[in-house]
Amino acid sequence: MPSPVRQKVMQHLNIVGLLQPALHKETHAPYPDEVDNAHYRAYTRMSHDVGGEPDVPIQWEEKEEEVWEHNTFVTCEVLAWRGVWNAEERRRRQNVDVGQTQYLGLPYYGRWLLTAARILVDKQYVTISELSNKIDEVKKRYE
Amino acid sequence: MSKPHYDREHHVKKATGIGDPQCFKGEAGPAKFKVGDKVRVKDLPDIFYNRTQVYTRGAPATVAELVYESPPAEDEAWDNCDNPEWFYSLIFKQTDLWPDYSDTFANDTLETELPERWLEPM
Repeated sequence: MPSPVRQKVMQHLNIVGLLQPALHKETHAPYPDEVDNAHYRAYTRMSHDVGGEPDVPIQWEEKEEEVWEHNTFVTCEVLAWRGVWNAEERRRRQNVDVGQTQYLGLPYYGRWLLTAARILVDKQYVTISELSNKIDEVKKRYE
Repeated sequence: MSKPHYDREHHVKKATGIGDPQCFKGEAGPAKFKVGDKVRVKDLPDIFYNRTQVYTRGAPATVAELVYESPPAEDEAWDNCDNPEWFYSLIFKQTDLWPDYSDTFANDTLETELPERWLEPM
């Protein structure tokens, strides 16, 4: 007979297998009594902890890294060399803080890039105003 | 508006020329477990961040190695290095982790590392 903790773990893994980014489904902010402990645990599951989630096999494809991916990696490493973050804070932000929808929905280095911008804003090295002005300026070069 | 001050040099001062996690050697105190000990993974609250896979919670394991001393991921993820802990390499039986695991492969094992706070003696 599995222990109560093991039963809870297996129940949890079954529920999170059903949680996917809700793209076309109407969602509601639930009333408090509509969320039981098991669902609270599922909703607050760390998105990087995918081990044991039911899923289907995916096709493995060998892919060369693109220039922007290399640049993103270097940027993130330089932020570490400058002491802006350590590897664990980077992983927390890239793999968990982004939430399940972005974790599953964005390309790997897309999350790195987004997170590099986020740490600079969160620790007040750049402002959102500077960042969005720059993005806007760069975008216009391609219009 | 006043800006928060982040100490960007404390880690480089500690680890340069030594390495990480070697720079935390001797800071975790005596280890609670030794190689061969049977332990169980605690089901501690998951609040914001940790690296303790939920599929290991409540499962029995055997200590294979005391690997290093380091701040646990949940502290280090906010740049807190004040409380290093022993990390243990643990061996789980796959049949203890997955209810449907085939008896044909009953000897299969899984090895992973966890910090001491997650372990209790069996």
